[in-house]
Amino acid sequence: MKLISQLLQNKKAMTGLVILTIILLVAIFAPLLTEYSPVKRVGRPHQPPSWDHWLGTTRLGHDVFARLVYGARVSLAVGFGAGLMITIIGTVLGIIAGYKGGVVDEVINFFTNMVLVVPNLPLLLVLAAFIGQASPLVIAIILGLTSWAWGVRVTRSETLSIRQRDFVKSAEMLGEPSWRIMLFEIFPNLISIVGINFIGSVIFAVITEATLEFLGLGDPNTVSWGIMLYNAQNAAALSVGAWWDLLSPCFALAFLGLGLALINFAIDEIANPRLRTGGMLNRWTRMVRIGEGKL
Amino acid sequence: MAFLLRRLAFYLAAFLVAATINFFLPRLMPGDPIQIMFASAGSELSLENLNALKLTFGFIDAPLHEQYFAYLKSVFTGDLGRSIKYFPLPVTELLGRALIWTVGLMGIATVISFTLGSFLGIFAAWRRGRAVDSVISLGAIFSSSVPAVVVSLIMLFIFGYTLRWFPNGYAANPLIDPAWNWQYISSVLYHGTLPMLTLVFVLTGGFAVTMRNNMINLLGEDYIVMARAKGLSDNNVMLWYAARNALLPTVSSLAIAIGTILGGSLVTEVVFNYPGLGNTLYQAIIARDYPVIQGQLLIMTAAMLVSNFVVDLSYVLLDPRLKKA
Repeated sequence: MKLISQLLQNKKAMTGLVILTIILLVAIFAPLLTEYSPVKRVGRPHQPPSWDHWLGTTRLGHDVFARLVYGARVSLAVGFGAGLMITIIGTVLGIIAGYKGGVVDEVINFFTNMVLVVPNLPLLLVLAAFIGQASPLVIAIILGLTSWAWGVRVTRSETLSIRQRDFVKSAEMLGEPSWRIMLFEIFPNLISIVGINFIGSVIFAVITEATLEFLGLGDPNTVSWGIMLYNAQNAAALSVGAWWDLLSPCFALAFLGLGLALINFAIDEIANPRLRTGGMLNRWTRMVRIGEGKL
Repeated sequence: MAFLLRRLAFYLAAFLVAATINFFLPRLMPGDPIQIMFASAGSELSLENLNALKLTFGFIDAPLHEQYFAYLKSVFTGDLGRSIKYFPLPVTELLGRALIWTVGLMGIATVISFTLGSFLGIFAAWRRGRAVDSVISLGAIFSSSVPAVVVSLIMLFIFGYTLRWFPNGYAANPLIDPAWNWQYISSVLYHGTLPMLTLVFVLTGGFAVTMRNNMINLLGEDYIVMARAKGLSDNNVMLWYAARNALLPTVSSLAIAIGTILGGSLVTEVVFNYPGLGNTLYQAIIARDYPVIQGQLLIMTAAMLVSNFVVDLSYVLLDPRLKKA
């Protein structure tokens, strides 16, 4: 709860949250924002932006704006779904490895390091290529199953240091079962790391889903930003001058990425007060600066 | 020494994991794995050639573990099979040709963005909380959170199609014969500029943020105060006391980043139609040329492991504590 109230006071976090809320609202209220269906031919091919079609039409005569607002649903769903999966696996394994130690730790740590050095995108490409045309759900699942390693590494090293603290020792003395210690003593102290891991994973999942679909590994009937890029690229949108077809999903992805990154950066600042340069600390550094002349 | 040997053993094991994934993936898919692997060949492949390919990928009449060892044997003897699309070109040769372009493009882009990012990070940390810091931090956040495919497409749109400053594809002018002369080299540089700028834009941010955060964490340490107390100049303290120590974790993050760099370079090559690994892979995906797709996982894993090992080596050089261990 403290984290949330601190987030609300952080300018970067607020900007990020506003961006995210806008995209979320657009996704939820997509049918109210456009009269067109994202999968029906509603105009002539490659019409430039006009009053009827705010962002023009695709080569197949679909309305770009309609596809963009409906596509937000898929990007958000894959991003948050896969992000949640990555975070849960990473946090659970990280806490267990860090708290239990011994053989359990060695096994988990070994596999984590192994997954970290096998390059992720090429691995995903191989998986997706064998699956064929992967639906967003399938993409989210393979992302979740292959991308948890970084989270384990970070959570584990933080757990290792928390394990040494007095409140954990005293809980052990009182004979609390280890699952209780991990869940109620250690986990609450990891909340900012978990937050950073979660938002970072969401960014990663959004980017990777778009990339896989752009490379032609997605299901071409999906309405998503990655498939929009794929179709626009296949229609040679840039060489025929239909920039609206390609740039609309580009800007949407950039906007979402920026919003999430701002939130992540802010959580990092809150978790690590030295990084915080605005507000209180700013005043403090200025005081130091006056006192010392420099620094 | 023991440290490096342990790392080597670990990398060997990691490579084995990639090979194992390759082995089991077609066998886990519903349907006949041989049919899946070589379906894209149609009837063009003669029975003799097909049998040779089957042997390479361990499809022999034997129990699973013998199939597995047969496959590992081909992998470790450097036989990755043949491309189906460009039959009978061996996968290693196809990917080897492409690898040169990717390593060149990616290597230079990584060096530039690592140097640039580190300096920006040092500078932002030193001036933390001021305008310079905000500009660098926000720019870095933005550049590292936008998908590489988006940056590539926007760069191509602005500089390739609208301003027409740079060519829209290929590694060099196809009309010029490859040779060690200025005409060809300048053409390579000219064609490489836009993909290079894209990669630098994508990569610099991440390095800058890591460096900035490391630096800020160090600036409160006693030895920094000590250096100031000695009356050393600002630049001296910034570069030789703070930055030098902040660089260490950044180097290890570089090792992890190499995987993402490979990924970023994949899509950039596809967008700019650059003849590297990424584009070769893209063509293979479209043609469902599975031997090539599997081969690139092995080659990219190997590339990743080699660069990780180089980072390990530099770590030993940078951190004297590891030499004794």
